[in-house]
Amino acid sequence: MRKTLAKYWAICRTQLVHSLSYPADLCSRSLTIALFLWIFAHLWEAAYQSAGQERIAGLSPRDTLWYLMIAEVIVLSRPRLSGAIAEGVKEGSIAYLLNRPYNFLLYQVGVGLGDSALRLAGNVLAGGAITWYLVGPPPDLGHWALVVPALAGAWAIDCCIGAMIGLLAFVAEEVSAFEWIYSKLTLILGGLLVPLDFFPVWLRDMAAHLPFAYIVYGPARAFVDPDLGRFLPLFAGQVCWLAALGGLLWLGYRRSVAHLNINGG
Amino acid sequence: MKAIEVERLSKAFHTKRKAAGFRGSLRALVRPEIQLVEALREVSFAMEEGELLGFIGPNGAGKSTTIKILTGILHPSGGQARVLGLVPWQERTRLAFQLGSVFGQRPQLWYHLPAIDTFLLFGEIYEVERRTLSRRIEELAEIFAIGDLLDIPARKLSLGQRMRCEVAASLLHRPRLLLLDEPSIGLDVVAKQRLRQAIRRLNEQEGVSVLLTSHDAGDIEALCRRVIIVNHGQIVFDDQVAALKKRYLRTKHVEARYAEPLAPDFRVEGAEVLRQEEGEVVLSFDAGRTPAGAIVEQLSGAGSLLDLAIAEPALEEVIREIYQEAGQPGGTPP
Repeated sequence: MRKTLAKYWAICRTQLVHSLSYPADLCSRSLTIALFLWIFAHLWEAAYQSAGQERIAGLSPRDTLWYLMIAEVIVLSRPRLSGAIAEGVKEGSIAYLLNRPYNFLLYQVGVGLGDSALRLAGNVLAGGAITWYLVGPPPDLGHWALVVPALAGAWAIDCCIGAMIGLLAFVAEEVSAFEWIYSKLTLILGGLLVPLDFFPVWLRDMAAHLPFAYIVYGPARAFVDPDLGRFLPLFAGQVCWLAALGGLLWLGYRRSVAHLNINGG
Repeated sequence: MKAIEVERLSKAFHTKRKAAGFRGSLRALVRPEIQLVEALREVSFAMEEGELLGFIGPNGAGKSTTIKILTGILHPSGGQARVLGLVPWQERTRLAFQLGSVFGQRPQLWYHLPAIDTFLLFGEIYEVERRTLSRRIEELAEIFAIGDLLDIPARKLSLGQRMRCEVAASLLHRPRLLLLDEPSIGLDVVAKQRLRQAIRRLNEQEGVSVLLTSHDAGDIEALCRRVIIVNHGQIVFDDQVAALKKRYLRTKHVEARYAEPLAPDFRVEGAEVLRQEEGEVVLSFDAGRTPAGAIVEQLSGAGSLLDLAIAEPALEEVIREIYQEAGQPGGTPP
């Protein structure tokens, strides 16, 4: 078990070091989140002013911007599994990763996390700094440490969905349409664009039970309202979705590998 | 013990065909044309442990498909295979600990990192103890002459240097079987020579079995005693390299040089004059019909002979002849 964990940690660490070769890319990505949050801050300021309220659905402008900051950090820093797997299937390079003594999916997760770690650090620093500058400190840092496992759960669910989209390349070859649909579902039903609290009740209740909400809305909302009563259902929901999606992914992976044909000889 | 045992191995897959142009694309959308491709057709062969076996064939012959089945990546459509006693597609991970593989066109070194980083990563992946790994890296650095290259990012290495590092990386976990898929592709003569020396040394010193595919007949000639030739998914030749030459090298060329010019109607019985110029003549003869001695005897008696050379066609020509023979309608494997 120790050796197995060391293996995936080494993969993650190597990718992290590899990612350091692109400092300009890292910096520009971090500037992206700062730009997004600056635009969001002005949009929501105008929205709150036109509504003439200090709080909408229980969220102040400060809560909303910190919520959006965490939501953006989750989505902009997440491991990109779908593209990596689909590319490997299309090019045939998956063959050269399958003949090593590791689990291919966990290898991709290791690489994805290694790639994400620096992006995460850059986005938290840049996003946190501009949000702090624009609206002041986060509402409550009492249970901020609980956001870390919530973020891990969010990324784990996202990795399952991303890997399933990547594996669709075995059937459809081109998966960019599925990636696009998934990103839009995350944007709307995940609460990346607008917190689910602002939705009509029926839509909020429906969206809150979907996996997209457990990826974005749940951790981001818990950050601005760090109450154990909010974290526990979030963790429970994440575990349920992870079990369901992880099982589906495993079945899909087994089936795909058994019927693998390699492009390019 | 056999390193590889393959019996009646087949692999077929479906592939879509599409006519050219817009109309062809539309037709393929409405009524896709599916074609069955037989990449391997009942291939059988065995390889002894410690053997250095050449596995060659033209593009699309089935070489890579065979290697991918032997590493457990592809599942065959039919037949049996055992690699180091394991069924590859059922025990892929277990087998991976005993296999090393290098695909010349697919680098395994991390592009921006020095080779040593990939070596350390592979050490973890193959669960090699750190101290054992350090000793192994030293050994391989000496064999492949890469000691000075380990700290240089892979992207800055020459192709020959990179390929030596690639092969060394695949040997860190002391595999019993090494699969080399075109390791010398794109290398210059010197780089090829160094790589061949290192592979031969490993085979001799550590007893590593090596299955080598290459488009370079020089690799096969320099390294392998036995060669398997595949074409159209079938084995068309499986024997010693020497037997390959003997069987196919019937036509030989003779170059003779005389002290004085030869007569314009100079002839040698059993041979054909290809070129004649002053005192020099080039002949070809079928060694299966006319003994070389008879040709040499006639040439010796034709004048004051200064020099004589009998040349065999290069192995490359022989292989080309086999490909063409097997590719022709009605062409049969020997």
